[in-house]
Amino acid sequence: MVAPIDQVAPTTPPVAPSQRRGRGARPRIRARSGPSGVGASENRERARGLDRLWIVLFLAPFLLLYLGFTLWPLIATVYYSFFDWSGMGPIDDYVGGENYGSVLTDDLFWLAVGNTLLFAVATTVIKLPLSLIAAIVLTRTWLRGKRIFRTMFFAPLIIPVAMAGLIFTYLLNPSNGALNSILRDLGIVERSFDIFANRWSAMLAIVLVSVWQIFGQYMIYWMAALQNVPDEIYEAADLDGATEWQKLTRITLPMIRPVAVVILLLALVNAMHVFGLVVTLTGGGPGTSTYVMSYYIYQEAFATVPFDYGYASAAALLFSVLAFILVTGQGFFVRRAQRVRDEYGV
Amino acid sequence: MATVTRRGRANLIALPILIVVGVIWIYPFLWTVSAAFKTQAGLFSGGANLIPDQLDFSNFERAWVNAGFDRYLLNTVIYSVSSTLIELVKAALCGYVLARYEFPGRVLLHRMIVATLFVPVASIIIPQFVLVEQLGLLNTRAGVILAMSGSAGALYVLLFTGFFSSVPSDLFDAAKMDGAGFLRTFRLVLPLAKPIIAVVVIFQFVSNWNEFNIPLVFTLAQPDLQNLAVGMLSFKGEHAVDWTGFAAGMTISFAPMLVVFLIFQKYFVNGLAGAIKG
Repeated sequence: MVAPIDQVAPTTPPVAPSQRRGRGARPRIRARSGPSGVGASENRERARGLDRLWIVLFLAPFLLLYLGFTLWPLIATVYYSFFDWSGMGPIDDYVGGENYGSVLTDDLFWLAVGNTLLFAVATTVIKLPLSLIAAIVLTRTWLRGKRIFRTMFFAPLIIPVAMAGLIFTYLLNPSNGALNSILRDLGIVERSFDIFANRWSAMLAIVLVSVWQIFGQYMIYWMAALQNVPDEIYEAADLDGATEWQKLTRITLPMIRPVAVVILLLALVNAMHVFGLVVTLTGGGPGTSTYVMSYYIYQEAFATVPFDYGYASAAALLFSVLAFILVTGQGFFVRRAQRVRDEYGV
Repeated sequence: MATVTRRGRANLIALPILIVVGVIWIYPFLWTVSAAFKTQAGLFSGGANLIPDQLDFSNFERAWVNAGFDRYLLNTVIYSVSSTLIELVKAALCGYVLARYEFPGRVLLHRMIVATLFVPVASIIIPQFVLVEQLGLLNTRAGVILAMSGSAGALYVLLFTGFFSSVPSDLFDAAKMDGAGFLRTFRLVLPLAKPIIAVVVIFQFVSNWNEFNIPLVFTLAQPDLQNLAVGMLSFKGEHAVDWTGFAAGMTISFAPMLVVFLIFQKYFVNGLAGAIKG
């Protein structure tokens, strides 16, 4: 039943090929597999003669940028983290694990880690189910005005995140912002409140504005996933007299599960980048209580004199390791849950 | 007939909900556009009101001329277009070779791309900064473009690899029979990848347009080179009270993206699906 996903989805964008098959015991890294992958390896041939030169030329742009801006930075981050370095002069002040020691004992670092993880989990938990529901509703054939509604939900994507943050600082401000004045007019609150005066309400604001901004992107992901499900299956279900709800829970959701895992991973990792919204909405405040990791790194490395690249690198690295554990751990649990489900044939 | 009425009823329930949610959803847009026409006093006392107290076009003039929106907009367009092009080219070329040819290190490269798919950009921005500095490109447009197009794109390579792997091998055999060389074969199959190209262009353009961290860090000493997202921030500092000017600037900046968005809208929805089915 589930095999057709492989057939129709050689290239689902949010889907890293390795994860697309939620199941199967083949090596996970291989790009292709499954029934439609027959031609895949046959396509691949050994290069001869002049073709070798072309291959090098074709790989060069990606490889150069990849080496310069992904691989080398990863290695350099490790290297810097062992030095006391302000970015100027030679890197010669080796301090061993000292940076790590002071990062690990820095309360602000742990606060930033906590906030980032909280943000990542909260936005993911809110935006994924909601955008899935929106995607399901907005792909119903009977719905009128689909295009208008889709455009409405996509629209926030076109505002740069930082600008969205500025708009919301005004809309949410206590003296004459729209939210407070509406709530006052409706008699829901007596006096204006400042949502940014408290750590938790400020975090909530960041989470909600972020969900609002990025919602459309995840809706697109889900729509693509939904379109992966072959129509024939629904037609067969119709013949069997299945209800809409049965079709949703027995066909749609199980069929998009492998894609859902990848969307989940993307959502978590992307959420860990959160930066612009924090800068514009709270500036890390009140005090330092809404610091997130990227803001912490930015402050340590570029905004607070003396610059401290070594220290910031150690912090970045520790955080990446934490994030990696979280993401792979989550992948592990999802896979295990899938195995359990497979055994029961759900 | 029965299905028609059932559909009608479903619409009757869904449409009002969608309209209410949708209007709340785009309220911040409506507010911004309306604020662009308000006077300072009108904005201050207006609360949630969307009707401008008067049509005041001076906000636009202020934003465009004094606050440098023209410059920010130009920078944003340059960054977005060039980075998107670089992303597209490098991903398409690399993806093609990965899909088509066996060469030493192919599996390793593929694995590394997958492994670095989930590296948070923020955590490696310092070495990127150092690299651009050493290339002498700090505080230049080229530096920003390089950093923007350099740090993303692993996902797109995988997309192209997946796509070109699924091209029927008969096609390549036929091309070979006709004596087509490497480049001609590539040019032959590239148009087939249109759906992928559309997806890469749309996603990368949106994300470049919104990019904040890289332009901020790489133009710290050169505010003239900031994009809209970063320029806004200095706007907030220098002109803390000029919210209507800010709103006008925002309204101006919505326009180009809205055009791109409306033109490519069908790809937003169908592009991904086209990539799957096409």
